[in-house]
Amino acid sequence: MSVEKLAYLPGCPSEATALEQHMSTEAVFEKLGVELVELEEWNCCGAAEAEDQNLVYALNARNLAIAEKDNLDIMTPCSICYYNLARTNNALKANEELRAEIKGIDPSLEYNGTITPKHVIDVLVNDIGLEEIKSKLVKKVELKVAPYYGCYLGRPPETAFDDPDDPVLMDQLIELIGGENVPFSAMKTKCCGGPLMMTRGDLAFEMARKILETAKNAGADCIALACPLCGMMLDAKQPDVEKALNVKFEMPIVYITQLLGLALGIDSSKLGLQKNVVDTKKILGKVV
Amino acid sequence: MIKTWELDPNFKNEILNELGGENLTACYQCSTCTLGCPITELVPSYNPRKIIQMSLLGMRTEVLSNPDLWICAICQTCTARCPQNVVVGDVLAVIRLLAEKAEEAGEIKIESPRPLFETAFLHTVEKYGRLYDIGLAMEYYPKREGSFIKGQKAMMDDYMAFGMRMFFKGKMGPLGGHGLLKGVLPSKIKQRDVMKKIFKWVEEKEKER
Repeated sequence: MSVEKLAYLPGCPSEATALEQHMSTEAVFEKLGVELVELEEWNCCGAAEAEDQNLVYALNARNLAIAEKDNLDIMTPCSICYYNLARTNNALKANEELRAEIKGIDPSLEYNGTITPKHVIDVLVNDIGLEEIKSKLVKKVELKVAPYYGCYLGRPPETAFDDPDDPVLMDQLIELIGGENVPFSAMKTKCCGGPLMMTRGDLAFEMARKILETAKNAGADCIALACPLCGMMLDAKQPDVEKALNVKFEMPIVYITQLLGLALGIDSSKLGLQKNVVDTKKILGKVV
Repeated sequence: MIKTWELDPNFKNEILNELGGENLTACYQCSTCTLGCPITELVPSYNPRKIIQMSLLGMRTEVLSNPDLWICAICQTCTARCPQNVVVGDVLAVIRLLAEKAEEAGEIKIESPRPLFETAFLHTVEKYGRLYDIGLAMEYYPKREGSFIKGQKAMMDDYMAFGMRMFFKGKMGPLGGHGLLKGVLPSKIKQRDVMKKIFKWVEEKEKER
C-alpha cells in the first residue's frame, strides 16, 4: 500500500446534509489504516455556482495551499470539490503568472503545485488497491446495487479518473464486497439534476426520477453513489420527487463508503446508516 | 432570419478572451454536444450547438437573452464528448457571465432566477467561508418572489418537509448529537478576511473585462 496519510477536505455538505458520507469516509479510512488529516479551516470550493473561473481558482488555491504546507495529497469525498480542486491544480501548475496573481490576493493562497487532489474512489481503488481492501473484509454485502457515478468522476476529460461513458471503479468495489451490480450503464453517468434543484425543480425532479426508476426496474436493492449533491437529490429529496410526480420508489441510497464500511465490519451507526432519509434497515439484513 | 447588419462580429472575441472560452472557434457544428445532453432530452428547444453557432455569427443579443442558457445543469457531458475540444460547458458558463454583465448594463433582462440563486450561494461563501444552506434560501427566495412574505411561503413549500427530514435524521439540529444548532447556524472559518479579499479580487477582474 502506497498511501499512509492524506489531507482530507470533507466539503460543505459533510456538516449537515451529507453527514453520513463524512462519517463513513472517516470510519473506512481509519479501518484501512490511512490517516486523514482534516484540512484546517477549509473553505467552500464554489461548487457549480461559482461560474467565474477566477473565483474557482482562488477559492481552491487556498485549500490546496493548506494541504501543501503539510506536504500531503488532498482527498475529498465530494465530486464537485474534486472537480474544482483538480482543475485549479491543473491551471495553477501550468500558469506561473496566475499562481503569482493569486498569491498576491493573500499570502495564504500561495500554492506551488506540489501535491495532487484525489477523489475517495480513486484513492480506494487505485492507491490503496482492491487486494489490500480485500484482505481486510470481514463481511459480505449481498446486495443488488445500482452503481451511480454522476458527473465529475469520468468527465470532463481534463480531470477525469474513470471512463466517461461506462465507468467501472465503483462496480469493482461493489463486486469486491460481495455485491451484484445490476445493469445500469444507461444511467451511471447521467446528471441527477442537483444543480437545477432550486431554479428549475421540475427538470431536476424529472432527471432524478429517471435514475430512481431505472434502478428500481433493474431490481436494485439500493443505489450506491459518491457525491453529496447526488445524495441530496436522490435520497433527501426522494420523498419530494415521489410526491411531485406521483410515483413510489422507496429506493435506499447509500454512499459507497457506507457499503464498503459494512463489508469491513464497521458498525452501521458509525457509518451513519441511520441518517439516510430513505430507510436503510432492509439492506442491512443482507450483510452477512 | 438573421439580419446581418445587426450582427456583432466582435462577440465571439468576448467569449474567446475569457477563461474556458478559448476553443470556441474550433466548433464544426457536428451537434454531438446537443445529442448527448440530458437537458435537451427534456427540453427539445435546448441546443448548445445552436448557441455556439449563433455566438460565432455574432448574434449577441439573441444569445445573451436566450432563456435556455439558464437550464444547463453543468454536467459536462457536452465537454467530454466534443471531438474538437471545445469546452462547451465552460463556453456556456462564460456566456452566462456575459449575460449577467449585459443585464447590469441594462442591455437585456434575464427572466431566470438562476443568477439570484448563484449570487445568494456565493454570498454565504464570501461571508462565512463555507456554504450556509439556510442563509442561501433566506436571501434567494424573497428576491425570487419579489417580497419577503411570498419568499417565505415559497421556501416553506419547497423546503419545509425537507427541513423536517434533516431535523429528525439528526443532520440539522440537536438530534444528531453534534451540537444543538448544528447545520442551523452557519459554519464559519476564522480567516473570513481572506474570503473578502478573494471576492474583491474577482470583482476587480470582472471590471477589467
